[in-house]
Parts: sequence; C-alpha cells; structure tokens
Amino acid sequence: MTSSVDSSAADQSLEARGGRSEHGRSTVVRLLGYMMGGEQRPQAILAIIARIVAIIALTTIPWITGRALDVIGSPSGTNDRLAGWIIRGTIAGVTYLVFSFVSDWMFSRMATKALYKLQTRVFSNIQRLSMGFFYKNPVGELTSRVTNDSEVVALFYEQGVGPLIRASLQVLIILIVMLLINVPLTVVALIVVPFMLGSMYVVNRIASPAFAKLQESVGTTSGFQGETIEGHRVIISKNRREWAGQQHEQLAADVYEVGSRAFLASLMQFPLTQTLILFQSVFVLTVGTIMVINEQTTLGVVMAFTGFASLMASPLGQMSNLVSNALNAFAGGKRVFAIIDEEPTVEDAPDAVEYEFKGGRIECIDVDFSYAPGSKVLRGNTFVVEAGDSVGICGPTGAGKSTLINILTRYYDIDGGTILIDGQDLATLTQRSLRQQIGVVLQEAFLFTDTVMNNLKYARAGATDEDAIAAAKKANAHDFIMELPDGYDTVLAERGANLSQGQRQMITIARAMVAEPKIMILDEATSNVDTRTEKLIQDGMRKLMDDKTSFSIAHRLATIRDSDDIMVLNGGEIVEYAPHTELMEARGFYYALYMSQFKGKAPGGAEATDVDFVST
Amino acid sequence: MKSFRRIFGIVTMHRARLVVSQVAVFISALASIGFATLVAPMVNTGMVEGDAKAALGFGFWMLVLALIAGVSMAIAAAQAVFFSQGTAYMVRKRLYDKIQTYSFENYDLLPSSQLMVRLNADVLNVQNAMLYAILLGLYAPFMLVATFIMSAIRTPGLLWVLVVVILVVVVLLAIVIPPMARAYKRRQHRLDALNGSLTENLTGMAVVKAFVRERYEIEKFDAGSDSMRQESFPATWRVAFLSPLMTGVGQLAIILATGVGGVQVLSGSGMTIGEVTAFSTYMGLVILPLALIGILMPYVLRGDVSAERILEAYDAEPTIVDKDSVTVLDSTKVEGRIVFDDVSFAFRRKDGELDPPVLRHINLTIEPGQKVGFLGATGSGKSALVNLIPRFYEATEGQITIDGVDVVDLSQDNLREIVGVALQEALLFLGDLRFNLKFGDVEAEDDVMIDAAKASDSFGFVSNLPEKWEAPVARRGYNFSGGQRQRLSITRALTARPRVIILDDSTSALDASTEGRVQEAIPQFMDAGTVIYVAQRISAVIDLDHIYLLKDGEIIAEGNHEHLLATSPLYQEIYESQLGSAATEGLDLEVMS
Repeated sequence: MTSSVDSSAADQSLEARGGRSEHGRSTVVRLLGYMMGGEQRPQAILAIIARIVAIIALTTIPWITGRALDVIGSPSGTNDRLAGWIIRGTIAGVTYLVFSFVSDWMFSRMATKALYKLQTRVFSNIQRLSMGFFYKNPVGELTSRVTNDSEVVALFYEQGVGPLIRASLQVLIILIVMLLINVPLTVVALIVVPFMLGSMYVVNRIASPAFAKLQESVGTTSGFQGETIEGHRVIISKNRREWAGQQHEQLAADVYEVGSRAFLASLMQFPLTQTLILFQSVFVLTVGTIMVINEQTTLGVVMAFTGFASLMASPLGQMSNLVSNALNAFAGGKRVFAIIDEEPTVEDAPDAVEYEFKGGRIECIDVDFSYAPGSKVLRGNTFVVEAGDSVGICGPTGAGKSTLINILTRYYDIDGGTILIDGQDLATLTQRSLRQQIGVVLQEAFLFTDTVMNNLKYARAGATDEDAIAAAKKANAHDFIMELPDGYDTVLAERGANLSQGQRQMITIARAMVAEPKIMILDEATSNVDTRTEKLIQDGMRKLMDDKTSFSIAHRLATIRDSDDIMVLNGGEIVEYAPHTELMEARGFYYALYMSQFKGKAPGGAEATDVDFVST
Repeated sequence: MKSFRRIFGIVTMHRARLVVSQVAVFISALASIGFATLVAPMVNTGMVEGDAKAALGFGFWMLVLALIAGVSMAIAAAQAVFFSQGTAYMVRKRLYDKIQTYSFENYDLLPSSQLMVRLNADVLNVQNAMLYAILLGLYAPFMLVATFIMSAIRTPGLLWVLVVVILVVVVLLAIVIPPMARAYKRRQHRLDALNGSLTENLTGMAVVKAFVRERYEIEKFDAGSDSMRQESFPATWRVAFLSPLMTGVGQLAIILATGVGGVQVLSGSGMTIGEVTAFSTYMGLVILPLALIGILMPYVLRGDVSAERILEAYDAEPTIVDKDSVTVLDSTKVEGRIVFDDVSFAFRRKDGELDPPVLRHINLTIEPGQKVGFLGATGSGKSALVNLIPRFYEATEGQITIDGVDVVDLSQDNLREIVGVALQEALLFLGDLRFNLKFGDVEAEDDVMIDAAKASDSFGFVSNLPEKWEAPVARRGYNFSGGQRQRLSITRALTARPRVIILDDSTSALDASTEGRVQEAIPQFMDAGTVIYVAQRISAVIDLDHIYLLKDGEIIAEGNHEHLLATSPLYQEIYESQLGSAATEGLDLEVMS
C-alpha cells in the first residue's frame, strides 16, 4: 500500500554517494561531455582544427627566421631574398594570431555554455529532491559546496581545457617538426625535458599536499573567526576576549607556516623552469655551433632550434598548473555530479493520479514514521478528520507535531499505515496535484527578495494583481503594504528584513490565500508581536481556514482553543483527541499542558496533575 | 596605493627579507641581461668565425649566468613568499585582536559577515598583491631600462624596433586587460547574485514545495545563470587569448628585428648577425615582464581596495572602554541591588548621530535576591534595558548602579564576573561540553557545573549522551537542538556563579512545562542572587516577584501578576491574547489583588 522509503539510499549522505556516477561514466568524460559533447561537438572539432592550423603556423616561424638568418649570413644574400622570408614569416605570425583567436573564442563559448548547463542541471535536480535531503544537508553547507565546486569546474572549463589542448598540441607538433629537420639537435634540445618534468613532479608532490593542508588550516581559522565573531556577545559577556585572541594567533601562525611552505614549493617551479629553458638554449647554441663549424648544419637551423626550444618550453612549463587545475576540477566535478545524480526519496508512483478534491476528509490508519531507521517519530496513529473540520495540534517539543504536517503534505513518505484523503490513498496521488490543494503557512515567515506583489503572486502561477490585492485585504495586510515606500512594488530586503515579524506573517497569510487551497495547514509562529498585530494575524488566519479542513499547530494553547477538535501528541503518539471543553474536563494530559502555562496562577487556582512529558 | 602603503607600516616583521628579495631580483635581472649579451659573441665567434673553443667558453659562462639568474630568482621568490605570508599573518592577527576590543555597538555598525570578508578575502587579496608587487614591482621596470640601455649601446640601429614593440605590447595590454578586469568584476557580481538566489531557494525550499513552484524557480535560476554566462564570455576569451597574443607578438617582433637587422647586416653597416640574434633575445626579456605586469596589475589594484577595507575595520575604536582608575567589587560578596536612575538610551548610527531613544527615563530598583521580569513586545526596549546592566551598551543619560557603584566605574571584566547573561541566540563553540559550560569560568569545579546543569534542566539529556560532559560540540553548537542549546547556554552562565543573572529571552524555545522547571530551579542555584528574566511570553514571568511591563521604551506598569492583571489594561490584553479569553472568564477582578 505505502510507497516505502528506500531508507538505505535516503540515509546515505551525499559524501558517501560522491564516488558513484549514475551512468557509469567517469567524471572526466562527463565533465568534458558538457563542454564538447552533443550539439557542441562540431564546434569543438572546428576549434581544435583551428588550433592545429595556428600551431603549425607558429612552428614555421622559427624555421623561417632561421632561413632568413642563413640568407643574412651567406655571401650571396640579397635584400629581396631576405624580404621573401620576412613576408612569409609575417603571414605565418598573422595566421597564428587569427586562428588562435578563432579557437580561443570558440573554446570560451563552449566553456561558458558548459558551465551554464552544469549549473542549471544542478539547480533543477535540487528542485526535484524531497525535503528530507534539505534537512540532512544544511543550507550553508550545501550552498558552499555547490558554489565552490562549480567554481573549480568553471576554472577548468574557462582556463583549463583550451590551454591544456593548446599546450599538448604545441609540444607534439614542435617535436615532430624538430625531428623532421634535425634529429641530433632535437635530442640535445630534449635533454632538459626529463629534468623539467621531474622538477614539476617533485614540486607538485610537495606543493599539492601542502595546499590541501593550507586549505584545511584556512578553513579551521575562518571557522573559528566566524564562530567567535558571530558569538561576540558570548565572548564579551564571559570575559573571554583574551582567550579568543590567543587561540586565533595560534591558528593564524599555523596558516602562515603551512601557507609559506605551500607557496614556497609551488613558486620554485618558476625559477626552475626558467633556468632549464636557458640551459636548453645554451645546449642547443653550443652543440649547434660545433655542428655548424663541422658543417653538419647551418646557422639558420641552429637559431630555428633555439626558437623551437623556447616555444616548446613555455607550454611544458604551464603543464603542471594545468594538470593540477584539471585534477581539482575532477574532484569538484565528482561532488557536483553526486548532486546531479541524487534521486528524490519521495517520488510519484508510476501510475500516480491527480488528487480529486471532495470536501477534504482525512483519515490516517495506523501511521508510522521515522526520519532515521529505528527511531520512530510517529507510531501507530489512527484518526479521522471530517471534511471542513478544524483540528488544533499541541504537545511538548519533539512530540511530532511538525512531522505530522510533513507527512500530510508528503514531504516525506510514511513507513507504515495508510493516509486517505477524500478516500484516495496519498501514496497514489501526484505530489503536484496534492500540494496545489493543500495550503501551508509555516512558522518561519519566509519571503523572497522581490516585490511584495511578486511574493503574493508566487503562490499560484497565473495569479493576477487583483487576486493578490484581494488576498492582502482579507489578510489585513493591505493597509500597511500601502504605507510602504512603493506600496505593492516595494522590494523586500533579504528574507523580508525591512518588515516587522508580524507584517511578514500577514503577508505569508495573504500569500496562502492567493493559492486558494482547499485544505489548510498552519504552523503558528511563536510571534513576538504586540497584541493589536496579534489580533490582526489571528483574524487573517481564521479567514484563511474558513470552512476548510484545517490543521493548526499551536505553541500557545489559546489559539487552538476554539478548534473543532484538539489533537494532543506526546512522544509520537496521539494521547488525546477531543474538543477543548471535553479535554479540560478529562483533566488529563491536555489539562496539565494547559495549566502549566499559568504556573499556579490559573484563575481557577487548580494545580496541574503530574503527567509524564516526553520532552527532548 | 595609500592604504597599501599603510599596511606596509603595520607589518613590522620581515623587513630584512624585503631588502634581500629586491637585491636578489636585481641580480637575477642583471644575470639575464648578461646571458642575452653573450648570445652575440657566441654566434659571431662561434658559428660565423668558427672558433669552437671560444664557443665552448661562452657556453660555459652562459650556463653560469643562467644558474645565477635562476638561483637569485628562487631566493627572491622565497623572500617574497615569506614576506607576503608574513603580511597576511600580521594583518590577520592585528585585525582580529582589534576586533576583540570591539563593543556591541561596533558590531552593530560592522556586521560579522563583513568582518569575515575583511579577515579572509581581503587579507588574501593583500597577500597576493604583496607577492606580485615584490616580484615584479622593481623587476619589470629595471628590465625595461636595462634592455633599453644595452640595446642603445650595442645595436643603436635597432633601438626603434624595441620602442615600437614595447609600445605595441603596452597598447595591446591596455586594450585587452581593462575590459577583461571589468568583465570579471561583472561576472563576480552575477556569480554572487546567483549564489544568493541559490541560498534563498534552499532556505525557502519548504515554501517552494508548498506552492509547487519548482518550475518557476528553475526558470529564474536559468535566467541568472545565463546572464552570468553572458558576462563571463568576454572575460574568458580575453584571458584565453592573452597568452597566444603575447606569443604571436613576440614572434612577429623577432621577424621584424630579423628583417630590419638583416638589411643592415647585408648593407655592411657593421652590424653582425650575432647582434641581431642577441637583440631578439633582449626583446624576449622585455615582453615577458611587461605582459606579467599587465596581467597582475588588476590584482595589485584590488589589493589596495582590500587594504582600505581592512584599515576601516582596523581603525574602528571600541565605544566602551574601562576608566583609567576603576573601582573593584569582590564578585563573590556582591548583594545584587540594581538601581536605574533616570536612564535613557539611544542607538548610535554610523555617522555618529543618535537614533531616537529606545529607552526613556527609566527609574527602578531591583532588590538583592529578587526575581524580576521584563515583559514587552519587540521594540519595547526590554533587551536594550538589561544590556545596560553588564555595560554591553552605555546609557545615553542617567546612571546604573550595582550595590551603589556606578557600572561605569567598574572594569568590564569585574562587572561581567558579577553579572552573568544567557542570551536568546544560544551559541556554543567548537570543542566539548565541559569546555563550553566552563567557558565563563575555566576554573569552575565539576560539581558547580553539574549543579548548574541540573538547575537549567540540561543534566538529563547530557547524561543520556554516550560521552556525557566530553560530548563533542560542533561549530556554533549545531549538533544540539535549539531547546538544548538554550538550556546549555543557561548552564554556561550559571557555572560562572554570577551574583546577578540575566536570562534574555533564553527560554523561548522551551515548552511551558520545561520552562517552569528551569525557572523554579535557578533561584535555588543562585543562592540569594538576583534573577532577571526578559520575556515576550506572559507564562515566563507570571510567577515572578515583580514584573515590569515595557512599551515604547517606557515602563508603563509594574508589580506582581495579580496587581498588573487588576490594574493594567495592556497587561490584561496580553494575558488574554496569549492565554485566551477563557483565562479571565469568571475572574473577579475585585476579589483579586
């Protein structure tokens, strides 16, 4: 009957799933696929061809210069012959620039497109995921992971792939040309290459763990800074500023030490490579000179080889940076793909049907639920809510009040039992059709950084300005909205900060009205508002619930006193379910809860009986 | 560059390293130029004249010069690394220490998120700028001048080629780099906006799902991502093309030099083929540092902007400081009589002006051992009022005394030993529970901590943890629930054994029954100390000795529950609104009080 949660998959953290790739393809292939696969492939091929043309043109330049020098050095040299080579060289240079530009332009287009595709894939998959995912992965962590990892990938796309292809082709083509012209000089020119690669390897072996350590050390330090600066009130009130300063000094000293080592190692690459490049040209020049003296080659060829050597050395020098850039991107890409491959834990059944509203009768039969296997949050709950009834939900912290709402909206699937809504099994309905009929006002009045109007219209695609204004009037929000600087067009600052808490609450009520839901769920805010605002909010909530089937979670019992029924939860079980007066007369759990608010100052004077609160 | 220079002033370590690095840079530049200069005799005497022995000699000296250039560049790089890292260390340390002297008011003006940017991203920018400035600041100009001089002496006929090439390079960099830097800045803005919208989407996920607006969110994000793509493209191709551009220009310059020089050699003007090749090498020596300056200049400029922001935070002065001579109260013997004498208070704005007062002419006396409550809605001034007692803020007018001593005359440390506070935003620190609970008094006995835990109802859940008092605490205490954090925060405040304890809305996440237990136990623990509650819920203050009802910065009613219920219309209104009209049903107001 129930679509059971794949609890093992649901429980696996993102980290653990990181290594797995849905399609069985390696991260490298998938990453490159975004850039050069599919519809981008023709462009990628063209870009590579342009690059090859450019590099061939570039490679001819030292050879042409060498021939020109031969002309200059020979007794029969003339200005005309020289000019011929100079013109050819200029053409080659311009060809190189033009084709390089075309290739880089195309690579850049592909790179930015690839990043766009990756970002939107990540985001749209996140939108598919079930609420459970977001409770397990806190917003801060998830955001920083998505943003950091995709920036590393962006760096690879934008400044890694193109240069890596360019560098490899340049080394390869120059090598071929050198071998074609003069094998012994090629060998001489290549003598330094193993040293260059060796030094890169050594530097990388020292630098990359050092940078990883630096990252860690910087992370710890900024974690400490963030905690102590945000917690400055605690630090100040507990006289612990000195401690904070000392702790921080140690952490900063650690960053200094680790950072110096990492940067020192990586910066040594530059002088090492530069020195080896100079050595290379000395070897070519010296051996070349001897060969010229022995008439084994010409001055022009030797000079061409110094040119080749330097054109080969610079991409080789870049190689280590490019490779570590790529490796970082693969690690980041793996984590990005883990999010792309994440599957929602709550999915519509293959044969799911649309929910058909028939008054809003809700029946729960033997419902069990747990967030983590083994620890049930709701157990064996059975109850019926008749169409149009209002139900108040109360109980101590952790009794399962919010959880009940999470399963009625199907943010989570239940472990056992059945939920029937107008006789239709919740598990057989599409989430979309269900949520369109169920309105929710959450405890935290969340508003988007947008105009008031857009926030109101957010509730329903296709809602008009008139719908929004009518709802605002009904929710008692119209008057204060009109007093805002730009009325309905006022842009709300981050998370609605330029409104008072009560005003935000009223806007969220109006927003829920715009959606025209058939069933209402309200999580009452522990509002810190004056009594006048409080009354306006209560009035709005009442209008919203109207004749609809409604659930309201109460943190203050007074707000649910007039509900048709009050559901009292304790330790995941419904312990009482009746109207207020009956529950008061019963002198049970609800009565105790009710009286505890008065701390012995209740008008009736009666003390609460002892009951076993399950509080966490 | 003014701010950048002031940072140099703050960084007092590693001065010698700075000097060594510049000497090394200088030697490296000289060796490179010497190397290029040897190319001409190598070609002339070796290849053209056929003197193999001389060629080997030149080759040897070139190797030596290459080695000198490399080693001194390595030394310069090492010194630059130590200096730039040292700068980052010093700036971080000095700035953080400065922040530790801040008062609440400073934090109001410079929020945590901004301080974090200054301590991290800005310090990083300064560090990088410092590194590049040391390595290239003198190297590139020196190289330019030296090559120019060498060329003027050795190949005056080619000097104009050098000038032309330098001009072309400078012009190209001026064309490519500023738009690249601007595009990057715009890309960064779009990226920030995109990350912002991701954060907002994730924070409001429950709302997105409730209204089934996932598709709308995706469209919105697509548009944001696309506009970032539009901005990154101009930056991306410019960066990508920069290196081929410089290579291409370098090669064309060699061709030009070969052509011009070749004509002069052929015309027999005395120029040698070796000089032509040596000149090509000189050009290479100029183009690379010029290109690097062009690429790195934006980083150095960014470093200056960051330096300015760092200095802004560094120059802020704490608004609350101890007097030169302070009165000392024995914190264990304080009785805890608190008197407000005509106290007014207003927050200060960034421009130094005062906002409208949030507290007006407050007069009150809290007797030792009394349990009092401050009740009021947001903005009524209740938190502002109690924040004046431990001198988190300074009263704008009037006087606050503890046992007859003006709080201003006490040292802040002494005062805060006497007055303990548990805040609503119950933040714990990374470490274990014992460390956190003894945060206010490191030397507290375990017994005190355990008694405090019992009084604040945290003993139960702590005992159920496998590691008990050694249980790990995550950053900010996020591995504990809101209600647990609040109770631990109260435990922490109690463990320091203050004589006056302020509970600033610190039981808001607890249900009424738990709150009741905590409130009953605290006075016993406090042993005749003064207990002050700040609350919005009437049930939190209902059984206290004395309740002050605040509205718009004034005490509009006070007394115990029965008295207020009988005399204050606002109190009655709050009572009804929070506990229900039924609560007052059948209540005979005349019989009460």
